[in-house]
Amino acid sequence: MTFPMASTELALKLLAPRNADWASILPEISVAGLALLCLIQAMFLNKKLNWLIPTTARIGLGLVVLMSLIPFTPWNPCSGVATTTFSGLLQLSDVTCGFRLTFLISALLTSFIATKFLEERHAVVADYHHVVLVITAAFMLLAQSNHFVSLFVSLETAAVGLYILVGYLRKSDASLEAGVKYLVAGGLSSALLLMGIVLVYGSLGATTPDSLNFDQIAKALAAGHGTALTLTGVALILGGAAFKLGAFPFQTWIPDVYQGAPTPTTALLGTASKAAGAFTLFLLVTGPFQPLAPKLAPVLAITTILTLVAGNLAALAATDIKRIIALSGVSHAGFILAAITGILVAGENGDYDTNLLAYYLIAYTIGSFLVAQALISIPAAEDHRRPLLQLRGLIRRSPILAGGLGFGISSLAGVPPSIGFFAKLFILILLAKVKLWWVFGAVLLSVAVSIHYYFSIIREAVVRPSVGDEIIETIEVSATAKFVIGALSAATMIGGMLFFV
Amino acid sequence: MENFNTVNSSLLLAAIFTPILVGLILLVGRNLPRSFATGFALTAFTLPALITVWFFLPCAEAYGSVTQYRQTNIWGFCFGLNGISLPLIAMTALVGLAAGIKALDQEVESRNAYLGLILFMLGGTLGVFGTNNIIGFYFFHEFALIPTFVLTLFWGGEGRRSAAMQMAIYLTVGAMLSLAGIVIAMQTVGLGIEDATFEQLFLAFHQSQLPLPAATTAITLFGFGTLASLFPFHSWAAPGYSAAPTPVSMIHAGALKKFGLYGIIMIVAATMKIGTGTLSHWFLWCSVANVFIVGLICFGQRDLKQMLSWSSVAHMGPIFVGIWVCATQGVAEGLDAAIFLMVAHGLSCAALFLLANAVRTRTGTYRFDELGGLARHTPVLSAFFIAAIMASIGLPGFGNFWGELGVFLSLRNQPFILQVFVVSTVVISAIYALRAVASVFFGKVSSTIEARHAYAPIVDLNGAERTATIILLGASLVIGFIPSLITNYTNPEAQALARIAQAKPFKAAPLQESPRN
Repeated sequence: MTFPMASTELALKLLAPRNADWASILPEISVAGLALLCLIQAMFLNKKLNWLIPTTARIGLGLVVLMSLIPFTPWNPCSGVATTTFSGLLQLSDVTCGFRLTFLISALLTSFIATKFLEERHAVVADYHHVVLVITAAFMLLAQSNHFVSLFVSLETAAVGLYILVGYLRKSDASLEAGVKYLVAGGLSSALLLMGIVLVYGSLGATTPDSLNFDQIAKALAAGHGTALTLTGVALILGGAAFKLGAFPFQTWIPDVYQGAPTPTTALLGTASKAAGAFTLFLLVTGPFQPLAPKLAPVLAITTILTLVAGNLAALAATDIKRIIALSGVSHAGFILAAITGILVAGENGDYDTNLLAYYLIAYTIGSFLVAQALISIPAAEDHRRPLLQLRGLIRRSPILAGGLGFGISSLAGVPPSIGFFAKLFILILLAKVKLWWVFGAVLLSVAVSIHYYFSIIREAVVRPSVGDEIIETIEVSATAKFVIGALSAATMIGGMLFFV
Repeated sequence: MENFNTVNSSLLLAAIFTPILVGLILLVGRNLPRSFATGFALTAFTLPALITVWFFLPCAEAYGSVTQYRQTNIWGFCFGLNGISLPLIAMTALVGLAAGIKALDQEVESRNAYLGLILFMLGGTLGVFGTNNIIGFYFFHEFALIPTFVLTLFWGGEGRRSAAMQMAIYLTVGAMLSLAGIVIAMQTVGLGIEDATFEQLFLAFHQSQLPLPAATTAITLFGFGTLASLFPFHSWAAPGYSAAPTPVSMIHAGALKKFGLYGIIMIVAATMKIGTGTLSHWFLWCSVANVFIVGLICFGQRDLKQMLSWSSVAHMGPIFVGIWVCATQGVAEGLDAAIFLMVAHGLSCAALFLLANAVRTRTGTYRFDELGGLARHTPVLSAFFIAAIMASIGLPGFGNFWGELGVFLSLRNQPFILQVFVVSTVVISAIYALRAVASVFFGKVSSTIEARHAYAPIVDLNGAERTATIILLGASLVIGFIPSLITNYTNPEAQALARIAQAKPFKAAPLQESPRN
């Protein structure tokens, strides 16, 4: 009888988290607390004070960004070694800070661009911010997962929140349609992921005490315990992550959902959700599945090339701005996959900057939100219908919006000296280092092709209206929008310059 | 590396950053009063020209050599000059000044933004030749291209939408290809972004003697070639220049396009080496096509600005051939002449765009069939135009003569057929250029001009246009009469590069420079 007793004791001891564990996720706890605060405010505040809710979210998130940047703290140890917390559920490493920052920045920007958008459409503001904050906390935990349970739970928490946000405009058919499409596709991907986890768990269960723990899976795979069943599971799990990322062949849901979703949600989906997929994929291929690298690398390389081709070809034919941005997001997923492939090939002690992915995603986030803010500020009858022609004469109607759009698109396209250029350059350098020439070529080619659809957006905005074009009134841009556009435009330039300082 | 003295480094930085800063002020202050904006912009256009002309004086000691720039390091960017970039930056500043005078003379919508963007473009182009950091070289090139794109789209003429798009795609593809080649080269010798200056890359290759795949050299060469409108990647250039507003065509065709040529010289020829194999043949015959086929295309043009744009592409041919003969055959005169021609072509081509626009503002058209007999109303314009055309076809007295002659002479040991093709440039360009002069300025006064003249008298060049033309043609004359002004700087560089080419591939080449102070 002593055996169960001892094991219970041990389990309790392992499960009872130490104070250090809680301190290490203080940023996540703060974001979750902030989410609750928004709800409480919505319950008790006078209607006149409703503006406090987004303000709380913005200030709170700003403070968490600053907090997460403080070095040598339990949540940002800067020690160079990975430490596991919560009995191996989570792992803090030197990349965590960059991952957190990516999610926090996109949440902060969403809270900036969403408020006016929702007010104009008579939608509830408080709930939106609440859900965004919950999603952010979940994503931040996801990026530290070291165990399939924490990975799946945080991924699902975020997914449920995103289903809500996509269908948030209940009076808009497009938003609801997108919500249903996302729900079905997302459900499928979760099922794939879960199926994969089960297969890996089952096939490795006999060889390790906890075959859901990343370290133990890695050990078991390195010892050669993997079977065909394990490989199937790994493929399914990676498929689930590729769905979030929007990589080939799981990219088909992207254009419809991005186009139909309210634009702030589109921006959040395109950045935070994509980043979540990217980081999950990164954690998986460098963590538990590292021993399978020789098998995974060619698969990832081929997926990269196919993703780039699929995204770029489809974007070339699109004529709606939201659709172009969505499909170009697929090609960005290709760039991210290229980076992950490069990291995988470079190996554990490879010569690369570990913050490469976070840097690329932050650059992408800045560009995407700049474009989203500019789009939201342009009046349109329906949020999901934004043909290129809508931009005609934008430079006359509002030079600020045209400039913001120009900076955003240039950064997304990777035109030097923007931050997007350096992000792409580092990926190219990594690919050259590991001599993945086919991927290198595909990345280069897709940069060239992408110029066509990106510049067609700038062209419509900048070109002088010809004689006979109807004269259109100027656009009033709110102070918040001006602030966001100014700050992000400066960020695209300064972010690039930072490399020379 | 050798450091600048404080005065020179501050001057070089001032030359590059004054236009950018003033451009920024004008862009932000869209409602600044007109006189204030004019004065501000004029200062920013003039200052770089004065500074770079000062650099030309021997007492300035403002330049180093290919392997040893004289440089200054600021914010991690290295700014510096060598014997090749010094004449180019001076030419850029003069073309910029002339373009600025023209721009200030124009009446356009949102004038401050227009001037600001042109200043950006000028600052970027000066930066291209003023930095020796390879990434910085890129940075400034793209920095100059973005305003070019916007200026063409908003202030451009007919066909601006498709022209700007075509230009953007071609130039990005070219920049990406050459960047890829450079990244591969940097990786091969293990050079980081921060240390990747031209001479570091150069020295690293010549010390390590690591081989570089020919494919890498090829993509870099054709990437830069696209930017410099090398046949068959030239088709963006003529529509792009034609659709752009005149000051933009002047800076782009005159100065900014030399980015590609400078890149070929500094990176492909000096560091990667073209060798004497297949790549060398491809490069040569593409260059010859630039001379001959694009020359024939010029015949077909019925529009003055189109013809000038195409001829500016055709004139890249002899420059490419000059670089080729130095990089693959080790004939130093070839490169010497090519650089001379780059400078002279920049000046004459800018002058032609300027004067063509003067024709257009007076007659309302660029079409040959609607023009004729303009000399009767505008004698000064006609005289200047003829002078500029003479300069561009290489008449003695102007700088282009020495450049073209030098290229022909450098081909003396080459096959006869090649000489024939290259020398044909003189004949071809003389025919189409003189025919254009005849149909625009001489003959019967056309009905269009009659009608215009009856409506409002056609006046001759105004002060601004005269000043701008005199600056450009004057500079061309000065180097035409005193070619040593440029060859003194370029000769040692060309000799050094020729020695590298003569050495067997990837064997240490003697790099000793003749001492100079």
